[in-house]
Amino acid sequence: MADIELRNVRKAFINFVALEDLNLRIEDGEFVALLGPSGCGKSTTLRMLAGLEFPTDGEIRIGGKVVNDVAPGKRDIAMVFQSYALYPHMTVAQNIAYPLKKRGVDKAERDRKVERAAALLHLEPLLSRKPKQLSGGQQQRVALGRALVREPEVFLLDEPLSNLDAKLRSYMRIELIELHRQLGKTMVYVTHDQLEAMTMAHRIAVMNGGKLQQFDTPDAIYNRPANLFVADFIGTPSMNLMEGSLSGSNFTVGGQSVTIDRSRLKPETTDGAAVLGVRPEDIMLGDGTIDAVVELVENTGHEKIVALAVKGCDRILARAPSGSAITVGEAVKIGFDQTKTHLFEKDGEGRRLNLDQDHNSLP
Amino acid sequence: MPLLRKAALSLFVWIVVLLVSFPLIWMVITSVKPQTELFRIPPTWLPETVTFEHYWTLLSETPFLLYFRNSVILSTATTIFVVALATLGAYSLVRFRYRGRETLAMLVLFTYLLPSVVLIIPLYLMMVSLGLSNTLISLVLAYTTFALPYALWLMRSFMEGVPPDLEAAAMVDGASRMGAFRDIIFPQLLPGIISTALFTFILAWNEYLYALVLVNSDSSRPLTTGVMSMLISAFNIEWSLLMAASVMMSVPLIIIFAFLQSYLTSGFGGGAVKG
Repeated sequence: MADIELRNVRKAFINFVALEDLNLRIEDGEFVALLGPSGCGKSTTLRMLAGLEFPTDGEIRIGGKVVNDVAPGKRDIAMVFQSYALYPHMTVAQNIAYPLKKRGVDKAERDRKVERAAALLHLEPLLSRKPKQLSGGQQQRVALGRALVREPEVFLLDEPLSNLDAKLRSYMRIELIELHRQLGKTMVYVTHDQLEAMTMAHRIAVMNGGKLQQFDTPDAIYNRPANLFVADFIGTPSMNLMEGSLSGSNFTVGGQSVTIDRSRLKPETTDGAAVLGVRPEDIMLGDGTIDAVVELVENTGHEKIVALAVKGCDRILARAPSGSAITVGEAVKIGFDQTKTHLFEKDGEGRRLNLDQDHNSLP
Repeated sequence: MPLLRKAALSLFVWIVVLLVSFPLIWMVITSVKPQTELFRIPPTWLPETVTFEHYWTLLSETPFLLYFRNSVILSTATTIFVVALATLGAYSLVRFRYRGRETLAMLVLFTYLLPSVVLIIPLYLMMVSLGLSNTLISLVLAYTTFALPYALWLMRSFMEGVPPDLEAAAMVDGASRMGAFRDIIFPQLLPGIISTALFTFILAWNEYLYALVLVNSDSSRPLTTGVMSMLISAFNIEWSLLMAASVMMSVPLIIIFAFLQSYLTSGFGGGAVKG
């Protein structure tokens, strides 16, 4: 059993605060991604789980035990580093065997386990090589091998795929999902790549500026973003965010107004300044009341991304099927799918004002 | 004409090599010439009779071996002391964040702002008040003061080349901080440690000024000052013995260089960490 719990964890360095009051509960066997831009505190969180940094305040529990003061080697964890951190003077076999050696596992047992890990990761022909003789993908697999050889309860992965090329990355994504399925261990995966987080994780913790923004399933993160940051951060192209004002069931942007289903909003929502969010795929071209002019059309092959100029707000992006006939300079009417619009506070934390946010969102 | 150019270049290189090595060659030749041949005009290039009597005289009738022993102890002790301090100091400067870290690193270099002649008298007085005057320890301490700053900065730059992730990985893999240092960091630092050790050893082996001022009894005199005071007086210079002593003084350095040169140039590891 190895569930992970962070309670009111705060981490301050000499000149800045990396983490502010973090609460997170990761279930046993779960695959959780910590996602955010650089400097959001995700790596610091992982390093604290590993025991490489110590929290300034708060409590970290692994498998129910408080591990705040437990040395990294004494926690039942393994970590894969972004740089792989292979020991350059050791062979692949010695690299993989090192954690076992440090735990006093005898030679015969070590060899057996190294062989098994090597077989799992297709590393057998490379066992006697030095790390610098390996390709990036091979080094990556050695790092994985070193992590899984001693069968820890928790795997910590710090951007393990970011040094691989695109093709290898998508291959390794599938390998990692498969590996998690086989081992059934808790995995915490740090990444700044939303695609990795969305495709691999059971749940995603979106972080920004040392604060947890939302902790939920990929589906909920995408469809019910808890605040403006998450709405903007997740999705490519990202959600269109339009500043305007809410009055009854009308939302006005640059003099044009759209109807909002007031029953989908929280009862305490007041009229006034707000931000309307619409995903590019929820914009209906040629079906609505808002005047727009086509500025640019990007054809990606399987779809077209249409950039629209609308008075009073930033450029709006919409998705259209690849076959649609849209020309630059054309004036179109656009509308929004009523059931899929998002409304956020304009000020403060930019919290979501839609009702559906309440079920299974922030812990 | 490429061949001619090549020949001219070779000639030039050989002339330079000869110019540089001539004193060394002459030193060896002189050390094996009998006394009678020394000042003959014209000089003999190769000795007519080769003799090792000067070496024998040095080893059997003078305190040369005592000085040699002193030099070995002195240089080895200084090297071990400096390398240990510099390695741990560099580790601290690079791996830990604390107030005054940079200032500390800069202050260490302060020694080099003053000529050693200025430092030598205060150092002597300090040694006297510590009761260490005329001991090998006083020289070890003195050499450490001027070898350590450079060694520390040298080790610091080597240390900076070792990615912190390596150590973190070792600690996650179950090593203690010192265990990670021994298993992982130390092997990465080895080329740096060897260069630092060589630098310190040579410095201590060749040092003259501090040895002259801080030590004046035969029992703790190193080779440099020992040989000087033994063979050079106001009225006479024992050239044959001096040359034989010089040859024997050079031998340890030549041996050390021959063995460690490959370590210095190769430097292993590296390239295992991406990004």
